[in-house]
Amino acid sequence: MAEALKPKLQIPLVITLTILGFFVFVPMISAFEYSIRTPLEGGYGWTHYLWAIKEEDFLHYIIRSAWLAFLTVLITLLILVPTITWLHLSQSPLRVFIDGISLLPLVIPVVAFAVGAQISLPEFVQSTVLELPFLYFILALPYAYRSLDIGLSAIPLKTLTEAARSAGANPFRTINSVIVPAIRGSVMATVAITFALSLGEYTLTVLLHWDTFPTWVTYVAQDNILGAIAISMMSLIIPFLILTGLTLALPERSNQGRK
Amino acid sequence: MSSKNLKLANVTKRFGNVTALDNFDFEVGVGELVALLGPSGCGKTTALRVVAGLENQDSGQVYVGDNDISSTPAHKRNMGMVFQAYSLFPNLTAEENVSFGLQMRKVNKDVRIKKAQTLLELVGLPTHGKRFTHQLSGGQQQRVALARALAFEPEILLLDEPLSALDAQVRVNLREEIRRLQISLGTTTLFVTHDQEEAMAISDRVGVMNNGVLEQIDTPDVLYNQPATNFVASFVGVMNKIPSELTDGHVEVFGKRLKAIKSEQSAGKVHALIRPESIKVKANSTNLNAKVLTRSFLGASSNIVCQLPDGTIVQSLMTSSGSGDLHPGSSVELEVATSEVLVTNG
Repeated sequence: MAEALKPKLQIPLVITLTILGFFVFVPMISAFEYSIRTPLEGGYGWTHYLWAIKEEDFLHYIIRSAWLAFLTVLITLLILVPTITWLHLSQSPLRVFIDGISLLPLVIPVVAFAVGAQISLPEFVQSTVLELPFLYFILALPYAYRSLDIGLSAIPLKTLTEAARSAGANPFRTINSVIVPAIRGSVMATVAITFALSLGEYTLTVLLHWDTFPTWVTYVAQDNILGAIAISMMSLIIPFLILTGLTLALPERSNQGRK
Repeated sequence: MSSKNLKLANVTKRFGNVTALDNFDFEVGVGELVALLGPSGCGKTTALRVVAGLENQDSGQVYVGDNDISSTPAHKRNMGMVFQAYSLFPNLTAEENVSFGLQMRKVNKDVRIKKAQTLLELVGLPTHGKRFTHQLSGGQQQRVALARALAFEPEILLLDEPLSALDAQVRVNLREEIRRLQISLGTTTLFVTHDQEEAMAISDRVGVMNNGVLEQIDTPDVLYNQPATNFVASFVGVMNKIPSELTDGHVEVFGKRLKAIKSEQSAGKVHALIRPESIKVKANSTNLNAKVLTRSFLGASSNIVCQLPDGTIVQSLMTSSGSGDLHPGSSVELEVATSEVLVTNG
């Protein structure tokens, strides 16, 4: 039994993973190597990192972007979890239609989207940076929607919902204490995708003349390319450390391996 | 526990042009266990779901005690429900599942844990509280589901084919336990099943449904021995249908004149409905009118399947000791051991 479960070394798999590994890690390692060069003195050093940390705007923009990303995640979950749950439960013919709609952000050019989406938001949102989370939500929709859709398809949603309702849970508590924990993996994936996409979004932000962390990095790069790369490296490492920390800190609940 | 009676008055429910419940009237007394039995699509599950509030009736009322709950949402109805499919919350332990209803009712944690423990003991799983769903067998999951449904002391317990997904042996054990628990807690219970043996075995009364209407509701004994309609007669238990001629309110079966009861007509071709235990098979006879096809040994009794010259199959249930000399292929005489029969139109 244990023998059968052991993954076999498959040559095609090794080749694929190697190519993929190069594709992902070579640019990152190169960027890191580049960012610790010190052209004036020669050799390597932390000069650019130290410079970036002392830069006042660094903290300002990273906090702003983190906030926007956090709001995007919140909006995504608050809108999508109840909606997709409802679509699944009601077996509404609308589901096919909305499945299709959710893919539109992939095919609409961001330029066209920027103008159209902005003017469709209420004015008090349009004039503040808070319009960005709503627009990021739409950009992340194809991925977030699919991730949650798959999660909800994989559980006996109707039975669980009815069991919760008959035990006395109102619709809010049904979603909160039964559905979301049951699709925890999907929700975490959605959070990660949405957060990462919001944190790195550049095109739309520039088109709408807002400044966030990515636009600031490009601004810095205009006269300090090594500094900009050091900042980018940190923006990669810091969220990674935070997410790893969170994952380790959260209590592990054995909800996998359902029969 | 404050159990109440349950009443459905003139409930109608349609799905498209299918009428699942047609002016349905039905009552379960305080502390009573009533089963709704019928073929699939007869409306029994719809009736239960209307009671639970998971389906809204098109017209009619649902009462618990004196309260009209027809438009109360499901989560405010205070009804425990056990489902056919495994329905435990996968992210919670057995104990947390059982106390879920209490948590929704904002009962404090110590009381909740104590109550959950008591119920897990009642369903025979005192040491399984910390286990997750995937660490429990199918039968254990349904026991936990039963404990969850009873933990908040519901006014009504609803069982929606809770045993259908289980193995035969587990099914029989669990149904006895459900009955034992139901009697000791005195919870008014509605039990929906398509398995007549299950319904007859544990219910105070059984309602037989067909096409959205209640054909008959009575004790298992009356249903079996005095079926009100032909549907009930042929659905509950095994029933032989023997072709015969109706004259003057009587039919002749195997040379014996029997009184036809509840007949809609007084003459013409009919089928006489006779239970297997009312048919005797005799091997040593001069009046051979049938042939033995098979004999199945069931322990104390044996089931003998015979064929009449016209091709009709007749089943007989006899004591095993009295049927030892009946072999497949041998010619025999069939006799009827009753004087009254139900008939259906030929």
